[in-house]
Amino acid sequence: METYFTAAVAGLTAGGAYALLGVCAVFTYRLVAVVNFTGAAIGTAGTFMLISLTEAGYPTWPSVLAGIVTGTAVGVAIGFVMTRWFATAGASTKAAVTAALLVGLIAIGLRLTGGQHPHVMPELFPGSAFRLAGVQVTNASALTIGLAVLFTVASSLFLNGTRTGLHLRALSERPMAAELLGVRVRLLSLFVWGVTGAFTTFALMIIAPQRSPNFMTLSLLVVPALAAALIGLFRSFWLTLAGGIALGILEGLASTVDVVSQYRSAIPFLVILAVLLWSQREARWDEAR
Amino acid sequence: MNWRSIFFAAPLAALAFAATAATASAAGPTCPDGAIKVGAVSTITGPADFSEVPKATKAAFDALNAAGGLNGCKIDYTIEDDKADPAVAAQAARDLIDNKEVVALVGSASLLDCAVNAATYNRKKVLSVQGLGVDAACFSSPSISPVNVGPYTLSTAMGYFATKTLKAKNLCAFFIIIGGTQEAYKKSIADWEKITGQKIHLLDLTLPFQGDLTPYVIKARDAGCDAVLTNQVEPQVVQLIKTVDAQKITGINWLFLAPAYTEQVAKALADSKQPIYAGTEWEPYTETGAEANAQWIADMKKAGRPLTAFSQGGYLAAKNFLKVIEGIDGPVTRESVTKALYDMKPIKDPLAGSPWIFGKAKTHSPMRSTKVMKLEKGAWVVETPDFVVLPKVN
Repeated sequence: METYFTAAVAGLTAGGAYALLGVCAVFTYRLVAVVNFTGAAIGTAGTFMLISLTEAGYPTWPSVLAGIVTGTAVGVAIGFVMTRWFATAGASTKAAVTAALLVGLIAIGLRLTGGQHPHVMPELFPGSAFRLAGVQVTNASALTIGLAVLFTVASSLFLNGTRTGLHLRALSERPMAAELLGVRVRLLSLFVWGVTGAFTTFALMIIAPQRSPNFMTLSLLVVPALAAALIGLFRSFWLTLAGGIALGILEGLASTVDVVSQYRSAIPFLVILAVLLWSQREARWDEAR
Repeated sequence: MNWRSIFFAAPLAALAFAATAATASAAGPTCPDGAIKVGAVSTITGPADFSEVPKATKAAFDALNAAGGLNGCKIDYTIEDDKADPAVAAQAARDLIDNKEVVALVGSASLLDCAVNAATYNRKKVLSVQGLGVDAACFSSPSISPVNVGPYTLSTAMGYFATKTLKAKNLCAFFIIIGGTQEAYKKSIADWEKITGQKIHLLDLTLPFQGDLTPYVIKARDAGCDAVLTNQVEPQVVQLIKTVDAQKITGINWLFLAPAYTEQVAKALADSKQPIYAGTEWEPYTETGAEANAQWIADMKKAGRPLTAFSQGGYLAAKNFLKVIEGIDGPVTRESVTKALYDMKPIKDPLAGSPWIFGKAKTHSPMRSTKVMKLEKGAWVVETPDFVVLPKVN
């Protein structure tokens, strides 16, 4: 029993990362109506700016700032592509476009960052916060979970309680109507892309030191993040948060059982499948089609 | 030309001289159809880039050609990119064998050349002196004999080092299993058990290629491992040690294979106090002052190639191959090269700890020794000045 508890706690690090990136994915979807596959890659681009600057000998915090600016710029650039050419496209087309962009970003990123070679990743928040069930919960993982909660609360308040939030919701749900009402659709969209770019970059900077430090593995963190977002049906921030952490814990638990362990990385896919089946359970064939 | 290059060029010149001298006494190798054609199939573009291996082979052949060739015969070397695509790899091998009519393959290094093409090489009776055997098929085919130790034998050797030198009592092994490598890794641990008479404390074949490693390092700690052997590659090595440090684990020796032995890993883990060891396939390439590396370094510098472990493999493949065809009397053809490789005597080269041989065995894994490097303050230092040589498995 204790082994399982230890394994579950060990999964928290991953869970916090999935939750945080999942919440970012829901934020993007609710505001600009795009299932964004490039989320983690945008953050990774910013993180690698930080890495290359610190490797070149620049001080840490100014480099962090430069990294966040880069992440914001990449976010806005992708937002520009999406709003300029695919504003009126359907949700699945947009998702497909971001998936294609992800492939491109990974290819360019791997080339520019020297492929599989590891980099010296500065730890922004070193040390461990506390010990639970024999596992050190690091400052970084405590912080990712904390940030995920904070972002969840802030997003809920922002979307439901402010005028800009209202405009943004209108923008994703009825873009035409919003434009006719005088909402500056494109500018707002680009703003959202920029903000999520900045935020995911900061998130990735915290997550990256605990992960394999190369462009592809960091970019592919988007898969469990989207699985978490799906648990919240791309609507509920709180369910996404819980889903992300649960995914991490599930992975931790799976590593103690040898039979399941080798299929551990398939867990997000199983979760996606289960959620899809569950959410469509009442849909009739004709409707679902 | 400074004194250094003169000094290093001397053995090459001597080789060329010896080759010329041989003509006078015996027939030696001849090439009535022009240059001797040799090829390599390598992954160059795609998920990995192994081109450093065949490029070093080419550098060695170029040096020989510049010195007049082997008994007057030049080597015409073709490198084909398999793009890590089985169809392209098969096409590349067919092109080299049927169109280019190569006498042998030398210095290949690929993610899948052995797995895809071993059957073709068997059928066409073309032998491959693999510069860097990667997949399991490179070590289990009658037509391929790699000049590197390879991940499987190296796992056994690193385990042997842990038991013999580090006095580990509870060796644990965590392996990433990709493709059909599971049986080969299981066998490497079984061999270690036979050699040392110990039982593996914990064998985990489920290490993920990506994902958080916290649960695994906790598992190793709670199982009471005092040495952990893994086959992780560069970025995962860094991730593992960072995770171990984050969990404040002490008292475990961490043993890695050759992919961990890079300067980037050393730099990324400069702050870690963990005891970290890595096996090298050959004489450690970072030991630029070592006598065993002298000629390789001289030839690589002349060709403007970087000094990497990969280039040692390519270079060694070329040297061993040349040694074998030097002994051929008469025309160098596919048949005469194959026969010479079958009948050859073991070749001992200072770059490697074991003598290399082809021979007629059903499988070839002649290299059974490694040096071990230890990571200290951001640099790799030699832990075992002599090669750790694996005893025979009974």
